[in-house]
Amino acid sequence: MAKIVGLPKLSPTMEEGTLAKWVAKEGDTIDVDDLLAEVETDKATMEFRSFDKGVLLKILAEEGETLEPDTPVAIIGEKGEDIAALIEEAKSAGGGGSESKSESKSDSKSESESESEPKSEPEPKAETQKPKRPSGDRIFASPLVRKTAREEDVDLADVKGSGPHGRIIKRDLDAYLEGGGAKRQAPSGGSGWERKPPVVEKASQMRKAIARRLTESKQTVPHFYLTIDVDASGLVATRKEMNANLVDEKVSFNDLVIKAAAMALRRFPRANASWVDGEIHWHQVVDISVAVAVQDGLVTPVVRDADRKGVLAISMEVRELAARARDKKLKPEEMQNGTFSISNLGMYGVQEFAAVINPPEGALLAVGALRDAPTVRDGQLVAGKKMKVTLSCDHRVVDGAVGAQYLQHLQRFLETPSTMLL
Amino acid sequence: MASGRDALLEHYRAMYLIRRFEEEAARAYAQGKIGGFLHLYIGQEAIAVGAAAALREGDQVFQTYRDHGISLALGMSAEKGMAELMGKDTGCSRGMGGSMHFFDKEHGFMGGWGIVGGHVAVAAGAAFKSKYLGDENVTLCFFGEGATNIGGFHEGLSLAGLWKLPIVFICENNQYAMGTPMKRTSAISDLTLKAQGYGMHGDRFEGYDVKVVHERVKQAVDRARKGEGPTFIEIETYRFRGHSMSDPAKYRSRAELEERKKKDPLVITKDQLQQAGATIEDLDNIEIQVEEAVKAAVKAADDAEPAKESVMFDSVMATKLGPQNREEAAR
Amino acid sequence: MREIRYREAVREAIREEMEADERVFLMGEEVGHYQGAYKVSEGLLSQFGEKRVIDTPIAEAGFAGIGIGAAMTGLRPIIEFMTWNFSFVAFDQIISNAAKIRQMSGGTFDVPIVFRGPNGAAKQVASQHSHSVDPFYTNIPGIFVVMPATPRDAKGLLKTAIRCQDPVIFLEGETLYNVKGEVPELDEEELIPFGKGRIGREGKDCTIVAFGRPYYEAMQAAEKLAADGIECEIVDPRTLRPLDIELLVESVKKTHRCVVVHEHWPYGGPGAEIVDQIQREAFDWLDAPIHRVGSLDVPMPYASNLENFVLPTVERISDAVRRVSYAK
Repeated sequence: MAKIVGLPKLSPTMEEGTLAKWVAKEGDTIDVDDLLAEVETDKATMEFRSFDKGVLLKILAEEGETLEPDTPVAIIGEKGEDIAALIEEAKSAGGGGSESKSESKSDSKSESESESEPKSEPEPKAETQKPKRPSGDRIFASPLVRKTAREEDVDLADVKGSGPHGRIIKRDLDAYLEGGGAKRQAPSGGSGWERKPPVVEKASQMRKAIARRLTESKQTVPHFYLTIDVDASGLVATRKEMNANLVDEKVSFNDLVIKAAAMALRRFPRANASWVDGEIHWHQVVDISVAVAVQDGLVTPVVRDADRKGVLAISMEVRELAARARDKKLKPEEMQNGTFSISNLGMYGVQEFAAVINPPEGALLAVGALRDAPTVRDGQLVAGKKMKVTLSCDHRVVDGAVGAQYLQHLQRFLETPSTMLL
Repeated sequence: MASGRDALLEHYRAMYLIRRFEEEAARAYAQGKIGGFLHLYIGQEAIAVGAAAALREGDQVFQTYRDHGISLALGMSAEKGMAELMGKDTGCSRGMGGSMHFFDKEHGFMGGWGIVGGHVAVAAGAAFKSKYLGDENVTLCFFGEGATNIGGFHEGLSLAGLWKLPIVFICENNQYAMGTPMKRTSAISDLTLKAQGYGMHGDRFEGYDVKVVHERVKQAVDRARKGEGPTFIEIETYRFRGHSMSDPAKYRSRAELEERKKKDPLVITKDQLQQAGATIEDLDNIEIQVEEAVKAAVKAADDAEPAKESVMFDSVMATKLGPQNREEAAR
Repeated sequence: MREIRYREAVREAIREEMEADERVFLMGEEVGHYQGAYKVSEGLLSQFGEKRVIDTPIAEAGFAGIGIGAAMTGLRPIIEFMTWNFSFVAFDQIISNAAKIRQMSGGTFDVPIVFRGPNGAAKQVASQHSHSVDPFYTNIPGIFVVMPATPRDAKGLLKTAIRCQDPVIFLEGETLYNVKGEVPELDEEELIPFGKGRIGREGKDCTIVAFGRPYYEAMQAAEKLAADGIECEIVDPRTLRPLDIELLVESVKKTHRCVVVHEHWPYGGPGAEIVDQIQREAFDWLDAPIHRVGSLDVPMPYASNLENFVLPTVERISDAVRRVSYAK
């Protein structure tokens, strides 16, 4: 008995996914857990594996299509089965989630709807996500709406239409404006834009996720920043000693910083907390999210129990995670549920910076470049190494004094790494 | 009143003017200076001139689209006519009507009308006005034998007969309704029988002798003026040219045309004048004067301003409501 | 203000203008001794005599032509068609002659003539007697086309028509003759100018353009819709040529929506012309496509159930308003 296969929800926050590549072809025999396709989600490019056994009879979604979870994408059944009815069913269900099948009809079939029966469609989500258009890029809007949008400087792409064919009508725009809909940002140096208009690129799922999450963080998390200048001479010496004892592997300063930060959290757990819906969650593990730059954004794989791992173990794990991150092969769970983040731009020569917290984590350490600096040692001015680190704190769980005390612990571990052994 | 010979000389002058005017019009048409339809009256001149002579000031004349002859006979200048043919602002209809639609209110010419039979009732309306106001004016309504088969003709005659309107209907039977001879379009050959049914006088004669036309039309006009009701006159005639400039007139033989040309009204009148003692010089003088007048008319028309957009818009209605067209508004 | 019937309003206009101007006369079938097929001209023969109230044979082309000739030569005829359906046999007179002579003669001849009579479907008179002729005549430059819905408009506009120096097509409503309405007192002369519409009802949500008989269906629809919270503005252009496009556009700019109601068939006609002009002049103010409600695209059947189905109804007008208002 053939059945429709819907797009699985491949991450907890996935609201849509782009079918990046079909791995299986029509006619292929499929076993449970065989790879069907790769799907680009807000997090990463995910493997889409079959829950069913049979023959892939029909592929319903094309590569490049962006779909909501549960949208029919394939039909699997027995060889030679008549699937005409299923294809029809899949078509009429196309484009919507399982709970909203009836409404979603108007998305794909609206051209057959009569003018007289505008269908109510699901309310737009509160997030900044653009409304879906039944007709591709063309925005249907009444002439009045277009005129008003010009006058009010509203980007109609942000407004959802309730008229026939999804036409934006007066009341849609009124509601949008009453709801405080953002006016289009006036481009700085507008004359320059007119002179040479920008090249417009569609944002990737990852870029959309970054935009959404970091906007949310900056808008909802009360950030404050604490910076210390660390004498890194001891750190340099310790790394040198370690690497001298390693044959194939090398540890980096960042690996040592991860270890030190994790150790500091173990010593001072009050900085290892999250604000979650009016509650404070005191973490019992030290899982460090490490920011890794990739092709078109960044991801934050998590080094679990970093306080309990050796520097070499941390080093190898970070390298392995970063490599898979660049190939978009990380699993969602490998990027979830960190308790504290580290972001290092020192290798680019950045001396210090204030980073955006990765919610629901309560703090983030931004690491600047290791630099030559005069240092006072035993009353003598000598050539030394220094490094600035900045702690971004969520004031809801980490107050100023708490952050400062955490930095004292961290400073001790960084300046005198052997104390980590105590 | 001029003596008989002087009057006949004037008739000859008028007929010769019509002929020369139309010959020049044909030339201008061939030169591309005149567009559309051009229906020539050549061969029928005695009717227009004889009938016009039967009228007095205040009388009104309606004609079909073959209207150059009667306009000139009533006194319109050749210059106004030629300018109209060339679509000039100085034309008698300011370039709005062309060959088929000459108008000359000053001389009582109520227009050349383009739809066969369509003007018969309108002419009756002008006569109705005379009866209504009691102004004792008479209306002449010309049409061809082809028009006697259409409804508008019958309704017009019916009402004119019923109300005894002061009108004379003149059927210029030139034998062909465009290319169809009358025996193929009418069950009867005596068209006055059609008018009998509407209770009006009938008269029937040949239209080659301008004196005869004048005399017989005058009888009918006088009757109308006295309130004795309308008359229907059928005048036999023959056009020497095709129906219009685009008609090669292959429906009739060369021999027939040559036979008919023996009854050319201009030749007949010229003979009569010479018999009455007019000299060759008298006739030559008239012809030279007419030829120069027509030549001057062509020259003036050539040099005149083309028809104007403003007249086109403004002449549609007497009421001024502001522009009804974008083009009108833009000017 | 006193209330009189539409029929009486038309008669008053004719009487007053005939009293004021000797050149005005009334001509048509059964206008005199019979007192008018619809009793519009009742009493006029005895007042003005046979010279000025003239019965004709059944010859529309003939007496239309007589009227045109009389108008060209200085009289001011009122030509009555017993119904406008019969004007088709006089079509050539109106189109080729009345509408053309002035321009064709380079502005020499004015044609001050009124063609008037009842227009539109009556009750069960079937296809040959049920035409709304406005689309035929509104297409033609050189004539005015007037289509009053109320007694007051009928009187004020007919007086203007009779004094007009150009041909006027005056379309009375065959089913409107008994409609009563307010009309100024006899000593208060009112001339309503051509090209000026009238707001029949004010509203903010949707403009209904309606003229002639379906004006009343539109008013009823507006009442019904008001109960549901949709306030319609009814605009009656009153003259279809020229059209008071300014008033229509002003209203649509206010309501952002428009339904055009007409009795004529859906293909073309003033209904389509009005839509065309509004979409061009008020494009940026429209929140919905303009809809039209007219007679269905069939010759009028005899049976009353079908006749009611074909004509624009209150329900169809209401539906159209709901559609353009995006209302359920």
